[in-house]
Order: sequence, then structure tokens, then C-alpha cells
Amino acid sequence: MEGADLVAKVLSTWLTLVLGLILLPSAFGVSLGISEVYMRILVKTLEWATLRIEKGAPKESVLKNSASVGIIQRDESPMEKGLSGLRGRDFELSDVFYFSKKGLEAIVEDEVTQRFSSEELESWNLLTRTNTNFHYISPRLTMVWVLGVIVRYCVLLPLRVTLAFIGISLLVVGTTLVGQLPDSSLKNWLSEVVHLTCCRICVRSLSGTIHYHNKQYRPQKGGICVANHTSPIDVLILTTDGCYAMVGQVHGGLMGIIQRAMVKACPHVWFERSEMKDRHLVTKRLKEHIADKKKLPILIFPEGTCINNTSVMMFKKGSFEIGGTIHPVAIKYNPQFGDAFWNSSKYNMVSYLLRMMTSWAIVCDVWYMPPMTREEGEDAVQFANRVKSAIAVQGGLTELPWDGGLKRAKVKDTFKEEQQKNYSKMIVGNGTLNVESD
Amino acid sequence: MGAAHSASEEVRELEGKTGFSSDQIEQLHRRFKQLSGDQPTIRKENFNNVPDLELNPIRSKIVRAFFDNRNLRKGPSGLADEINFEDFLTIMSYFRPIDTTLGEEEVELSRREKLRFLFHMYDSDSDGRITLEEYRNVVEELLSGNPHIEKESARSIADGAMMEAASVCVGQMEPDQVYEGITFEDFLKIWQGIDIETKMHVRFLNMETIALCH
Repeated sequence: MEGADLVAKVLSTWLTLVLGLILLPSAFGVSLGISEVYMRILVKTLEWATLRIEKGAPKESVLKNSASVGIIQRDESPMEKGLSGLRGRDFELSDVFYFSKKGLEAIVEDEVTQRFSSEELESWNLLTRTNTNFHYISPRLTMVWVLGVIVRYCVLLPLRVTLAFIGISLLVVGTTLVGQLPDSSLKNWLSEVVHLTCCRICVRSLSGTIHYHNKQYRPQKGGICVANHTSPIDVLILTTDGCYAMVGQVHGGLMGIIQRAMVKACPHVWFERSEMKDRHLVTKRLKEHIADKKKLPILIFPEGTCINNTSVMMFKKGSFEIGGTIHPVAIKYNPQFGDAFWNSSKYNMVSYLLRMMTSWAIVCDVWYMPPMTREEGEDAVQFANRVKSAIAVQGGLTELPWDGGLKRAKVKDTFKEEQQKNYSKMIVGNGTLNVESD
Repeated sequence: MGAAHSASEEVRELEGKTGFSSDQIEQLHRRFKQLSGDQPTIRKENFNNVPDLELNPIRSKIVRAFFDNRNLRKGPSGLADEINFEDFLTIMSYFRPIDTTLGEEEVELSRREKLRFLFHMYDSDSDGRITLEEYRNVVEELLSGNPHIEKESARSIADGAMMEAASVCVGQMEPDQVYEGITFEDFLKIWQGIDIETKMHVRFLNMETIALCH
């Protein structure tokens, strides 16, 4: 049948191309430079698109630098200064002024909720998903956008899906095979090769371009690697450059299959859901793992949830109580080419992956940092904050003391009472009340 | 294109009513949508999502002020169930800095509006007077949460403050005269001559200057 023949021919050429140009080089860790060329063309096109928009748009609506600047200038003066001035008596009607002003400032703009939605871009990158501010500009621009859609959905998407499919199946098959071997250095070496190859294929399936900095500080065996969390892809990005032991819950479905296969080849630490609640058990197992110097470094994301890559939120102290050397890693995505943030309340895993595969590319920088250990007299919380600052500075992210768990939960009562305690201390002074003014 | 036109007309109307610029209105609209979860109205529960607000001792009064019919200029008393964007902006406009370039009358009017907003926050039963009970209620809220202050101390602070207010407003009282409460006129008298400017405004940034300094 002619039709079937043709299809078979197309498919086979397609597969050979994929094999030759992508799979083999990734097995050897070599790059053919195709993605660099792609990126250069992409950058040029986006620059052109931005200039077109600047020329075409009416004056008022151009280049709103909204997300970073904010709409109000907050009054950062501490409570004492804000309340003083008109203070003549112990309690002033005006104190209510100060608190209502602070309240209103919080309502207009708060630092936390904006971290749980995607970063807004200043210029358009030809993806409708970032197109919140841009109106119809010119036919040429629309043409380019349509071309972009065709390229992304009809050319890039099938390619990427094929690669992802190959990558994952290779991973499962490869690790199961390697798992059959008896424990030996050959097994470790083979499992490393399998892991690295499959991860590289998966990264290519997202058109990922990753720059690693300071490779000399790459996490060593027996250490704990700590990084800021933006999306599940973080794991992929880090494992492309080295093997880690992962920590996490056992899932069902496809993730479960992958997890079970991986654990055969090299020891990861997977927990049942019920075990996760028992902190001592978790700490014990992790301690055992790092005590064995031959085991791979553990990878932990102490924020506990995905943040939108503009800031680093509170690091949970659990990971810092285990002991051992901490190797901090900072990951920063370039939002120009594709937004990697996983807004789990808005998108589920499948639609998230689809969005990833239909963006232009995932570009990110990974900085390895010198190892840190807990100092004398420092408790776990202080140590966690020290590591957090180091990562924030390296990655160019802002640092927030707030807990990432606020995505889903409310503020703890203890925080609320802090402010009230401070205020009442001010009024009462040292415990002497001077109220009777006769 | 039709939708874009009517949207900008609405913006112009809001500009006129509330005094914000069109850029600020767009920004605030985005914030409104964030708070309301893309709904057209906000309810009291939506304010629970602002972590910074939780730290504020009088958060319940502030949230209440957003729904107060007197502040929304919809009636002499009572609370609305939900507010739309225009109401949101109306409340925000109480905190705009007073434009000192306007005439003296206008400035005085703005001052009165701000003080009236504050008065409404104290006067929870909308009877036009701040009674001793209402005053005590505010002081207790401000001081609540501190385990070292007993209720008695909070009360005595409130009582003392009321007495001072009475002496300012009514002068010397007869021994059996009862001071019913602070009316709005008395409230204004207390604040006469005192500059409330720095206390009661939020500095909304002028967006155009920022875009230019890019």
C-alpha cells in the first residue's frame, strides 16, 4: 500500500535523524551545536518583535515595569517612629491611623502572594500565555506570531514528545537491566551512564540550554545538595550533570514506575506517605545514607514547594538538622524563552509538561557553591537562613523570610500576636501606667 | 476594538471619581483580580489571603472599613456583603495624599473625609458618636494578644483618653453631667491644627515617571 509505505519511510527517516543527531551525541555527552544556532535565531526574532511593539504601540501602554517596581512606596519606618510625633499622651487616637495605613499597604501590595504566580515579562516573547498586556499591534507581528505557533506546535512538539518518550522508556529499561547485576563498581558506573544519557535526552526534549558555573564545587559523595525550587524540572537539570540520590514520596502511576526502576540501579530514598509524617524516621534514614561515603549525595529542596523563581522563601530546618556537609546550588531560569514555574493550583502535571514542551526553550543557569557546614553555636534555623542568603545572592533572587507553605495555609497565630505584643509594650512602657490625668 | 473603547471610558470615569491616574487604576485592577480570584467582587474572606495583613492588630476593623456603607457612600449604616472594583477604589481614595495645590476649601474637605473614615472605624454602631464602650473596644483590640496586660489596664487607658477628649470638647463638666460620646464635630476639634498628613496617606507611585526612567 503506497500510503502506508510512504508513512513508514517518513517515520524511519525521522527516527534515524533523531537517533543520529540527538541520541548518540547525548550518550557521549557531546553537543552538535544545533541548539546554539536555534537559540541565536530565536533571540534575533524576539528582539525584532519587541522593537515592532515599541514602534507600534500607543505611548501610554508601553513597557510597564509592573512586577518589580510595585505600585506604592511602602512606609518602612519601624512602629515606634511611625507612631511618635503626635504622641503626647499614653494612647492616641492617631495610633489607629498608623495601623490602618499599614493595613492598606498590605492590601494593595504584598510580597508573598505575588511569588505564587508567574513572573510578568517586560517585553513579549511571542507566546500568548505571557500576552496579558499587549494588544493587537500590526499584521506583520501577528504573522510572525502565527509562524511561531506553527513552529512550536507542529515541528517542535512532536519532536520533543518523541524524545521524552524515548528518554523515559530508556531510563526504565536501562535501570531495570542494570539492577539485575550484582553490586559492584561496574554496576555503579553503568547506572551512572544510563542516568546521564537519559537525563540528557529528556533535557533535549525540552530544548533545555543549561549553563553550569563553578563545576569544581559539584556536590561530592556523602554530602547533601540543597537548591531553590521552581518546578519538577529542577531535578532533571541537576541530574544531567551528576548523579544524586533523591528523596521523596512514593507516587503511583508513571512516576511510581520510574521511581521503582531507578531504585534498583542505585539507592534512592523513597518514603511511603505515612512515613513522611514521622520526622525522626526520615532524619534517621537520611543520616544512614550520608554516613555511607560511597553513596551518592542527597538532593533536597528545603522550600518544600514551587516558587516562581523571583525569590527564595523560608528554608525548612529539617534538612539542616541531619548534619554533614551542605552543598548549595542556585538555579535561575531565564523567563524570556519559557516560563518554567509550576503553578500547581492552576495546572496539573500533564498540562504543565505540555506548556513546557510548547515554549521556545528552557534556559537556565546553575551555580554550584562552596560547601557549608553548621558552625559552633549555630542552630539549624540560623544555618538554614545562612544557606538561603548565599543562594539568593548567587542567583540574583530576593530573599523572603516567609514560608512557602503560605501558598496553601494561613499565617500562624504566633506571628499575628508578635505585632500586638510590640505595640502594647510601647503603650505600657515599663509596666507603669500614667493614665489618671486629673 | 469595541471592548477596548468602553473599557477606557470606564477608566476615565473612575479617574474622575476617585482621583487616581489611569495607570494606577490598571495596577489596582490587577491587584483586585488577584485578591478576588478573578471574580468581579470581593468578599470579606478574600482578605484572608494577605499574609501581611494578618500581623495587623486591627485587621478586622480595616477589613470592615472596606464594607462599611458609610465609607462606600451607599447609606448611613450597615455593611455590604461584597464590593466591586469601583467600591475598592473609593476606599483606596481615602488614603491618597491631599493635593496641596488645590484651594483651601478643597484641602479642608479632603481632611474631613480622611478624619471621617477614621471616625467610622471607631463608631461601629453608626450612631454618630464614639461612646466609651466603642473606644474601649478599639483599645482592647490594639492591645490584645499581650498576656501581660490585663483587661483592666486596657479599660483604664480608654477611660483616661475619653476624659481628656471630654475636657477638650466640652470644657469643664458639671458633676452630674454625663458625657455621651465623641461626635464627629468634637472629633474634628481634637484634630484641629494638627497635621495628619504623614499618618494617613499611602504613597501611590506615579507610573509614568517610572516607565520613562527605564
